[in-house]
Amino acid sequence: MNNNLFLNYINSAINGSKVVQANFLNVLDKVSKTVIKICNHENLIINLDYTPSTSWPTYKNKTVAFVDGGLDKTPMPSSAPLTIRAGSYIVNKAANEQLFKVNNSKIVDLFDPDNELYDFIDDDSFEDMMLNKKKDAARIICEAATLVNHIQSGKKYDFCFLHGPIQAILTPFTQQGFPPFTQLATEDFIPFINGKKDKERKKRRMTPEDRHFIKVYLECIKFIKKSPFPIYGVVETAVSAAYTKNLLYNFKNKGHISSKDYKETIDTINKYRITDSNLFEIILKRNQALKPIEIQKQFYGNKLIQRSMWDEVIEQYPKIFMGYVKATDNQSPIRIETLNYPKNLIKDFGYILCVSRLLPNYGYLAGLAVVDRFVKISNFMSKASRNYRSTHLLKQAINNKDQNTVSLALKILSKKNRAWINRPTKRRK
Amino acid sequence: MKKRSKWQTIGTVLGETNINEFFFSLKNYQAKKGDIVATETNVPDGNGKIISVTVWGKIMSIDCSNEWFPRQAAQELANEDIDIRDTILPTTRDELICKVSILGYTKNNEDKLKLLPLVYPVKPAASVDYPNSNDVEKLLISDLNSKHPIYIGSLLARESVEIKIDADNLVSRHVLITGMSGSGKTVMVRRIISELMQKMFPMLIYDIHGDYLGFVQKNKQMFPNNKVKLFYPNLSIKSEDKEIIYTLIEKLGKPLTEPQNDYLNSLINKVKYEESSLIKYINKLITQSKDYIKDRNSKTKGASSGMGHIKAATMFVVNRSLGQVVKKLVSMEQTNFRHRKKMANLKFEQLPDAGTEPEKIISKGQLSILYLKGYETLPASAIVSILSESLFKHRQEVEEEIPPFLTIIEEAHNFIPSRTENKDNLPSVETIRKLITEGRKFGTGLMIVSQRPARLDETIVSQCNSHISFRIKNQKDQKFVRDTSETFDAEDTKQLPALANGQGVISGQVVNFSLPVQIKFDEQLLNTDIGNENFISTVEKWDDKETVKLRKKFAKDFSSISESNQRRPH
Repeated sequence: MNNNLFLNYINSAINGSKVVQANFLNVLDKVSKTVIKICNHENLIINLDYTPSTSWPTYKNKTVAFVDGGLDKTPMPSSAPLTIRAGSYIVNKAANEQLFKVNNSKIVDLFDPDNELYDFIDDDSFEDMMLNKKKDAARIICEAATLVNHIQSGKKYDFCFLHGPIQAILTPFTQQGFPPFTQLATEDFIPFINGKKDKERKKRRMTPEDRHFIKVYLECIKFIKKSPFPIYGVVETAVSAAYTKNLLYNFKNKGHISSKDYKETIDTINKYRITDSNLFEIILKRNQALKPIEIQKQFYGNKLIQRSMWDEVIEQYPKIFMGYVKATDNQSPIRIETLNYPKNLIKDFGYILCVSRLLPNYGYLAGLAVVDRFVKISNFMSKASRNYRSTHLLKQAINNKDQNTVSLALKILSKKNRAWINRPTKRRK
Repeated sequence: MKKRSKWQTIGTVLGETNINEFFFSLKNYQAKKGDIVATETNVPDGNGKIISVTVWGKIMSIDCSNEWFPRQAAQELANEDIDIRDTILPTTRDELICKVSILGYTKNNEDKLKLLPLVYPVKPAASVDYPNSNDVEKLLISDLNSKHPIYIGSLLARESVEIKIDADNLVSRHVLITGMSGSGKTVMVRRIISELMQKMFPMLIYDIHGDYLGFVQKNKQMFPNNKVKLFYPNLSIKSEDKEIIYTLIEKLGKPLTEPQNDYLNSLINKVKYEESSLIKYINKLITQSKDYIKDRNSKTKGASSGMGHIKAATMFVVNRSLGQVVKKLVSMEQTNFRHRKKMANLKFEQLPDAGTEPEKIISKGQLSILYLKGYETLPASAIVSILSESLFKHRQEVEEEIPPFLTIIEEAHNFIPSRTENKDNLPSVETIRKLITEGRKFGTGLMIVSQRPARLDETIVSQCNSHISFRIKNQKDQKFVRDTSETFDAEDTKQLPALANGQGVISGQVVNFSLPVQIKFDEQLLNTDIGNENFISTVEKWDDKETVKLRKKFAKDFSSISESNQRRPH
């Protein structure tokens, strides 16, 4: 029976898979050919000049900040520790400046009612899912707050790059019951909100709505949009087809394609889960880029991704500009996002290409790879933290002197996924 | 010792430690390989108490990495001619990890440093300090309890730390100095000699190249209280050493068959040895042999000499062989003489008879140099063997006619070759084996100097309790040094091929632990008469002698005559 199963399994891989995959490639090929035509028609593909030996000496005196956030999500049933830090690698080689700086950091226990990050809401529904969302929201806001810090510092940057999208998708945080940040945390993230003077700040008490992620993040985004220097969010792998879908949408609006063709193509893209990465991997050649197009990030076409009580606020979010740069033949192109259309598109994208080509195989901004390592919460930290928390739990249980409590603590500490190692086996001789 | 607070902190011990080594993260440019560092830890004292101690270690290697500088970036920089200083890549995040070999620990509350073996690992996350030079010097000399330390140079990694070695062990327990030509062996030997001369310790050098003639030149100026004697060999042997003639004939002449050896034997027995020059004696043998040949060819058929049973051909062969030996010995003497003549301002004396006048060679405050240049291995070996044996006997005797002394054997592979060299029958091998095994009792220390350690006799090398090794590139020699020296640190031997001139690793009983050192160069002790072998300059200044010029001038005329000559020979 097993033999038959194996045979069928292999047969399916040989014959069935062949058909399915041929069909996928066929669809991808056709969509990409169409998208290429549209891109060409819209004159979106640009060739970037890559002459590093002459470009780098001119880039030498640029002041650039690379920003990223690091997060430790140590899973513990008895507590919800969260460590976040967002930091920067600021470099200007001509000025002999190579500065590594942690701009924002938070260490809290989300189960602690008095934690300084979120207001405590006693709601145990979808606890795990909500916990992860809280952690993600905290990371996103820390990164955005770091960009705010750089703008506020008054330092004359030539560029600022964020590891990740310039504007995150908000849908996960619109869920009912998602807690607001505390007053303290909010003031920390958006220090400009109450004016510069401390006295004024104390006067105004913000409402829970004002302190909600959707609102605080909006304040950050608005502030970032006004930045005197270009700020780009750079995404390594695009898992969505936002660029393609918006491109088709604009094309339809111009009347170049029918609503029916638009709808069917979007359906196909969704059904086959075709992403921008898939398509532009085929369309773009090395040292080529796609001009940014304007995208309402929280919408697909004219439709809000998911409706919620935050719709009105979400509609206030500015549109972003999204483009792609392909730095290497080995990897998919990288997605470049910005809140304002680049004033010097060719120069800026040329710089991005140069910095990305410093990792010729990976094709991603080397400065972001550097800051990623810098802010990462190292294993030794999370391990030590976990050990202390476990010890603490066990000590408390033992102090309780109740055998059941100790037993419970032990079970909590040893809570792991079901593992093959625990399955019943014959006794070994 | 409560000095740690004054020492500069240079790093932090990493997570895993043991009692033999630890790793630490080093601040940029705060220490070098070979540096001595210290850290604090607690150890159980064996009486139920925990005591705080200072752990000393030597930096064996330093690894540097910049995790944030990916390999692929290096590839792009190279391929595209990009200067990293222009790019955004970080150049300030080098991570330096040092491997430290633990030397031992000293107790914090004791003024005198006594290095004890560590029995408990050092603390991870402890700070690592850079001790003051004075404290390091104290540590280096502490365990030797040396009454007579001698200064040889500085710690390789730290110029301010003076290195002193124990002279008592040096002169009695035998030292092996190895290294390539020009690596610093002679510089080291000169340094040791200078120091021992200050202590009036007698020394005898077998000098093949004239490397030590600087001592003669600077005798009055630098060592006014010492006598420096320069000898050339006197090829005389005692009657009991007559056997050496067999070896000389075997090696320098034509190898003899058994009947020929028998004839030689009877010849030697018949001709009385008068303890004069060896050459004279061999000439006497030749004359006597000629007489025998005449007698053999006469009508009496050798009846009067009693050699009638020996074939004339046998006699001829022995005669020819003796002739060859004499010719070679005379040639060597003349070569040595020519070299001596070049240094007319140096006073060479014929080597006195060590049997009857040993004090002329070995006496308090005297440095004796036996200049062996020009002599082939075998006669040189015979000279070394006879002289060393003779001096050693004087030390063995109850009267002790001469004080303890140190013998320095330069180019030792010529005198004590390995068995694999098939030169086992060199007379010096047996003598030096005897000296090195018994010498300690009688105060006749040996310093063996060679550029090819792998070619040295293993028994002799194994008796050398201290090793000083300079740059060695040859892998066989490196392996030999590693295998024969128990005191060399494995990491130290790794750096042997990369050492610069005058840099060496010293280990054994003259120091506390294996140390990389920079030897002090005594420039004033160079022999200015020999020069620097600058042959190109010599050729640039070259002018043919008159006879050569005439030969060249007439050569063309004679050549044209022979070219014109077309007649057949009669």
